[in-house]
Amino acid sequence: MLKYFSRFILGVLVTAALVVLIFGPRPESALPPGRENDTIIHYWEKWNGPEGASMQQIVDDFNGSVGKRKHIFVEMMSISDINQKTLVATAGGVPPDVAGLWDPMVVQFGSLQALEPLEDLAAAKGITADYYLPVFWNACHFNGHLYALVSTPASIALIYNKKIFHDNADKLRAAGLDPDTYPKSIDELDRYSDVLTEFTTDSRGRRHVLRAGYLPMSPDYDWYVTSMPLWFGASEWNVATHRFTLTDPGVIRAFEWMQSFPKKYGKEVVSEFSTAQGGFNSAQNAFIAGKLAMQMQGPWMANYIHLLNPAMDHDWAAAPFPSDVPGLENVTYCPFDTLMIPRGSHHIPEAFEFIAFVNTQPEMEKLCRLHCKNSPLAHPSWDFLHNHPNPYISVFQNLAASPNAHVTMQCPIAPEAGAELTAIVQGVLAMEIDPRAALENAQERLQAEYDLFEENLRRRIGAN
Amino acid sequence: MTTRGETRNLLKGLAFLSPWLVGLAVFMLLPIVLSLYYSLCDYNLFQPPVFIGSENYRSLFNDAIFWRSLRITLLYAAISIPMALFVSLGVALLLNVKIRTQPLFRTLIFFPSLVPTIASAMLWKWMFNQQLGLINRMLDPVLNFFHLAAPPWLDSSNWVVPSLAIMSVWSVGNTVVIYLAGLQDVPRELYEAAELDGAGALGRLWNVTLPMISPVIFFNLIMAIIGILQIFDTPFMMTKGGPNRASYFFTYYLYDNAFTNMKMGYASAMGWIQLLLVLALTGIAFWSSKKWVHYQGK
Repeated sequence: MLKYFSRFILGVLVTAALVVLIFGPRPESALPPGRENDTIIHYWEKWNGPEGASMQQIVDDFNGSVGKRKHIFVEMMSISDINQKTLVATAGGVPPDVAGLWDPMVVQFGSLQALEPLEDLAAAKGITADYYLPVFWNACHFNGHLYALVSTPASIALIYNKKIFHDNADKLRAAGLDPDTYPKSIDELDRYSDVLTEFTTDSRGRRHVLRAGYLPMSPDYDWYVTSMPLWFGASEWNVATHRFTLTDPGVIRAFEWMQSFPKKYGKEVVSEFSTAQGGFNSAQNAFIAGKLAMQMQGPWMANYIHLLNPAMDHDWAAAPFPSDVPGLENVTYCPFDTLMIPRGSHHIPEAFEFIAFVNTQPEMEKLCRLHCKNSPLAHPSWDFLHNHPNPYISVFQNLAASPNAHVTMQCPIAPEAGAELTAIVQGVLAMEIDPRAALENAQERLQAEYDLFEENLRRRIGAN
Repeated sequence: MTTRGETRNLLKGLAFLSPWLVGLAVFMLLPIVLSLYYSLCDYNLFQPPVFIGSENYRSLFNDAIFWRSLRITLLYAAISIPMALFVSLGVALLLNVKIRTQPLFRTLIFFPSLVPTIASAMLWKWMFNQQLGLINRMLDPVLNFFHLAAPPWLDSSNWVVPSLAIMSVWSVGNTVVIYLAGLQDVPRELYEAAELDGAGALGRLWNVTLPMISPVIFFNLIMAIIGILQIFDTPFMMTKGGPNRASYFFTYYLYDNAFTNMKMGYASAMGWIQLLLVLALTGIAFWSSKKWVHYQGK
């Protein structure tokens, strides 16, 4: 009896499994009617919210035009922790066809041979260096290969609150500063900041920042501060010698300058002010809330100011962030978003059709306008520069075109270096570490890490 | 010697078990064995692993961040394991008192365990905010009386680990439930006998309750050692390992090595060291249990 019962149960289970496999649910096709035979391009993108919606518009444009003609349909999916997931999916042999990643991944992923080289595809489409600003085109390359094209770029500038400047015009003039313009050197920035910083004292005699002139903040809020040495005429990595340069006097000076703020204003006071912010894109951002006169930020802030505090729309302006080195002008850091084809994609030509479409001037300018960013193209249209939602877009555009425009360090272990520098900035701002000692320590550690990376690379080449 | 029928039954049993057996082999045993091999290799997921012997382990011993992350994790364990055990035991003892609102209190204590980690992390991040947070708003008047400043919690290297340990008490509901089950198993006649011998409330707790639930305390201790040494999600969401790597726990560093720095061999070596650490601490707990854990019937 038991024998028949167990056979019956086994039979039921096997039949149920077969029924589910044969007749069970299938994923619904996202393809519109008439496009069922199109090649589907799986596109992973880090953006969600308004930025994701803007990119979806470009995807829709592609699907309705070039995609329709060439029978290609792009499906965009917003992915969190996209760099890790893309790497794991690529290593597992199931990569997306297109990945929307950040610029440091060009070198990191390229050094892992996790990307498809695009130079031949780009050449076939007539996409060449002269189409782009050099800073972006060069940073899309690694080891002689083109591994990415741009989706949206940015350049970092000084954003300042003109109203705060005007409201404190007398105080600024008394200090020998012009309230109708912006600081032109780091020394001037310090002086503006000192005049515009106001404190309040509570009933128990404790001091708080009521409004800050300028404050470098933890990279959680202000993620460009790790690139601060650029404005001091220094860089943290020498791409020619493959050596970190963290003990360069300019790098040390930049980190000491950051520490000068908690030193002069008080570390608890600065920490309390900085951490009351909810995030750069929140209404608690001290600049958007009118509690910070100057901030180092990208062009997208125009969008966030308009969204979160429209009353401030006409009260702010943008200018090049001042440099500490006389004569070194229009210094900027250019972070940018990229489109790459991970190694093992099954539809490389079709995926590149989409990437090339995004990089056509009308689509690129549409996307950059929607994201409120500057253009990566060498010759942006008149309409782009004059009908852009960011009234100061030409400032950002000129900065990106400057010979002093830089990207993140072109180093295969940039994520590790970035984490190290982030920790140092946090320690420096909390006055827990001495900048020079911390940078010397980091120099030793990171250089050893890089040397090991190169040694491993040689060993792998030897082994394979 | 097995008969044909027994063999057939064995095969049938294995057939029914096969989904679990295959899952165990493919998703548990194979990765464990592979991770041991990878820990002896230079492996970045993209190129085939290259055998390098014990180099990863030797590098770890010279890695200042490895030692720092280990120290931070052990500090966190030293604060949060006793705190979680004692707080949950105290709460369980209170919830074991027969009062009308007992079910309500039990529900309230268990409720935070149902809140997703991401939600509680976001909630506590604001609660710990030094300027706007609820905790400092409540502490300020008291501390001011003693001319003390409220702690900066997550924004200070010195306070971030204690802050996360305090937060861990928020989700003691599961441990409390296990304690409650143990408490209800303590025979009433033991309490009656202790009372007849003149034991007060504390005497009954010390001489009856604690020895009788010592296996439950031991179980919770082991689970706490295993769980707390693997802490990852809360600091990942709340502090990103900062400030100044003060909450860069062992598992967080392992994760970064594996999935950010693509040093899978190095991360595998860390994983094996973590396993040895958990085994060592669990072994110490088992060794000490002979002195303080009392099983009924022994």
